[in-house]
Amino acid sequence: MTFREKLRSGKFVITAEVAPPRGVNWQGIVKGIEPLKGKVDAFNVTDCQRSMVRMSSVAMSKLLLDFGFDPVLQITCRDRNKIALQSDLLGAGALGIRNICLMTGDFTTLGDQKDAKPVFDIDSVSLIRLAKHLTGGYLLNGKRLDGAPDFCIGAVFNPFAGPARLQLAKLRRKVEAGAEFIQTQPVYSVSTAKDVHDAIVEAGAVPIVGLLPIKSLRMAKFIENLNPGSVPKELVRGIERARDPSRYGWDYVLDLAHAIAEFGRGIHFMLVGKTQELASFIDYLRNNSKFNHKF
Amino acid sequence: MVVVKLKPFEWIVKALGACRRPAVVGCEVGSGRCRNGGIREVKALASYLEEKGFEVVKAVSLGGVCVLENVERALEHIGKDVDAVVSLACGAGTQVIAEKTKVPVVAGVDTLFIGSEKERRFFSEYCIACGNCIITETGGICPVARCPKSLTGGPCGGAVNGRCEVDENLPCVWYLIDERLKATRAGNLFPSNPSGAYPVHPRSLVVEES
Repeated sequence: MTFREKLRSGKFVITAEVAPPRGVNWQGIVKGIEPLKGKVDAFNVTDCQRSMVRMSSVAMSKLLLDFGFDPVLQITCRDRNKIALQSDLLGAGALGIRNICLMTGDFTTLGDQKDAKPVFDIDSVSLIRLAKHLTGGYLLNGKRLDGAPDFCIGAVFNPFAGPARLQLAKLRRKVEAGAEFIQTQPVYSVSTAKDVHDAIVEAGAVPIVGLLPIKSLRMAKFIENLNPGSVPKELVRGIERARDPSRYGWDYVLDLAHAIAEFGRGIHFMLVGKTQELASFIDYLRNNSKFNHKF
Repeated sequence: MVVVKLKPFEWIVKALGACRRPAVVGCEVGSGRCRNGGIREVKALASYLEEKGFEVVKAVSLGGVCVLENVERALEHIGKDVDAVVSLACGAGTQVIAEKTKVPVVAGVDTLFIGSEKERRFFSEYCIACGNCIITETGGICPVARCPKSLTGGPCGGAVNGRCEVDENLPCVWYLIDERLKATRAGNLFPSNPSGAYPVHPRSLVVEES
């Protein structure tokens, strides 16, 4: 089953993140995720994440397709106006890319090309509408397409951002605009995961809860600074005490993934360092866990 | 008001090049209000230039340099011996001066934004003159000008703890809007029909004769 088939048939989905290279050497990245082929349902290909210049996410998604992976093409509003967004999405459709995840995008000054012009011609909700126009066979201007792309559209949600009622209203608008699945910022507790899951289900989309293993105390502080209130004190204490903090952070996330598998619809690994271990864990979830029927 | 920032006097001296008899023109409306190009700065610059060997022919600050008649009146008696004008008015005013003179014009300020002031010290951007005002629906607070991404449909995911992801010293404008709308019990969370059209420069306005 493909990612979208699973998504639409109520199966549990597992996605992971792949960042295109800073350069043209993509081979190592594709080789690196080889152990996850057939285990991770789809790979999100980031679009110059944190505004750091990388190879095009459209090109990287096509490379993943060529090597037997199912990509989720990420596109942001940061670098393209309405013309370029439509053009690139049509290009992605023509290349056989079937899943897209659309977001406003980080601001330019957060990255490594701070003097770049921030575009933000439209926002995430409008971008989802735009993609929906294309899948319906029309450009935004109403002109009929010679062949429409077939996209399964997703979006993102940060449970730690505010104001809460506006974030939730925007989440609903994303779903109304056409988002079928919602991937979240990393969460570090079962209760947050449950709340986020419920909010997204209520909005009408499939929640895919973000997971990002913490490797060190420094990283814990970075994440907590990024999303205040997201990293529980117990996790920080555990990382502090652990002989191998990276191992501790990894096991913590796998435990969380296990808990989410019980009630959830999907998980999204935002880092795929330990690919062999992740592959074994997914095997376990699918074959030996008590939730194996969900996969 | 239009908020400006005075350029370094040394830069102005360099920009004057071989010119020796400049006029210095400030503006009381914007530049003067933000203390970066009113009569005080005009006088300070004039003294500096005199010290450096220039003969400042005229040092004046007008009540609105972007008003053509003001500039015409001020430049009327300037005389032919003026060989440059240093303008401390905003970009609009400086261009009006350039249209009305044949000598080189030095822009002595950088024009920053349309903004507000507090205590005549703190100036903030409040308007980007987008040409499609939505602030009736956003509690009188403009997200087009005050969100770095100009998001008119609610906050992005970088709005954490009331702060903007771009600058932690900056409040997320959508928190301000939300508070205001709660206080005034306004109906809609988001503007009903924000324009998606980008204004094409240069814009103009013609007022019909009544």
